[in-house]
Amino acid sequence: MIPRLEIHVPEKMDEVLEILDSSKANCRIIGGGTDIVPGFHIESPRFAGFNKLVDINRIEELHEIRENDENIIIGAGATFSQIISDSIIAHKVPLLQKAAHGIGSKQIRNKATIAGNFVNNAPCADSVPALLVYDASLRIQCADSARVIKLEEFLEGPYETNLQPNEIVTQILIPNNSIGLAGDFYKLGRRRAVAVSRITLGLLYKIADNKFDEIRIASGAVTPIGQRFYEIENFAKGNEVSDELLRTIAIKAGKKVLDLTGLRWSTPHKLPVLQKALYNLLVKNCLK
Amino acid sequence: MLRDISLNINGKIKTIRVEESKRLLDVLREDFALTGTKEGCAIGECGACTVVINSDAVNSCLVLIGQCEGVEIITIEGLEQNGELHELQKQFMEKGAIQCGFCTPGMVMSAYALVQSNPDTTIEEIKEAIEGNLCRCTGYTQIVDAIAH
Repeated sequence: MIPRLEIHVPEKMDEVLEILDSSKANCRIIGGGTDIVPGFHIESPRFAGFNKLVDINRIEELHEIRENDENIIIGAGATFSQIISDSIIAHKVPLLQKAAHGIGSKQIRNKATIAGNFVNNAPCADSVPALLVYDASLRIQCADSARVIKLEEFLEGPYETNLQPNEIVTQILIPNNSIGLAGDFYKLGRRRAVAVSRITLGLLYKIADNKFDEIRIASGAVTPIGQRFYEIENFAKGNEVSDELLRTIAIKAGKKVLDLTGLRWSTPHKLPVLQKALYNLLVKNCLK
Repeated sequence: MLRDISLNINGKIKTIRVEESKRLLDVLREDFALTGTKEGCAIGECGACTVVINSDAVNSCLVLIGQCEGVEIITIEGLEQNGELHELQKQFMEKGAIQCGFCTPGMVMSAYALVQSNPDTTIEEIKEAIEGNLCRCTGYTQIVDAIAH
């Protein structure tokens, strides 16, 4: 059942901030609604306890994708369809484009927004590993101030973030020093479309003189929330790129996931699949 | 909350008094008797409730009517012009792309959004356009065929 709610559809950012400021925890932001509305339908406790929605789809600045000297700036309300067809994203943030393409279906991508994906912060949120390897930060606003926070600090736990009830994520910032690295995104679901991810992997790297000058690895769905593997990245950096090294990276990643999640019913089949998927991804991209 | 909302459905503008958190799907079926739009899964996975909003195919089960003021909504009933079926509808019949028929309105609306934006589509583009529409009878081949023609 959909609860009785007041729905506000402001056209200006100031109005959004004012509504959030005056209603605090009584209000939620609705972008695409592709998590909230099914959440109502299954009577999820995560989507209860408020009586107001503020729809942000008519705030033009939240749909802008542009670049300046320091960052690629993605409006938090950009839909995945918009991200897929945007030329800046295609050229400079290709992993995000690939991740966006695997999300839901055409209908879902037409509605679902990038910030909605990581604010909901499901363990399987596909945008998260892609944004993490790009070292994305978020710009967050409330009525009287604004702040910038790294995405990985913003994501606190499964379905939990650092966002306060009076705040809204307005922009995703991809720093320019992340642009130009080679990379790839991998998703395993039960079918090609409308599939909850079982494994996602984001990989960015730079190889110079056959050594890893830079390597960034992030996972989703196999860890409680999407996250980077810094220890493994640091281990790999500076090392000669060889089949042996790539195999070691994949084995270490599996061990790290086991440390984080403990033994689960799915571990015996999922862990080797994860290791093999990462190994294949590394070989496909990094071995000449 | 009850509110007067002005809606543009199939080119006609009408104001209704409605609970603003009612789903678009329910408003179409209950308040406008447009029962061509079907409810399948109600969580955005099956596509039976697909309509076209501002040129994009969307699941009407995931849209609340309070979000719809001023947008252009097209349902399966809006495709027929002057008593004549849309070419897509004719092709669905011609190619036998309908069995039980439950998925058909949603399927046709996804196809409609595709051909409106890109009349010259490839088979891959067709498959992508209907990836959010489940059909349990036809096996999709005839549907893809119908859209391709």
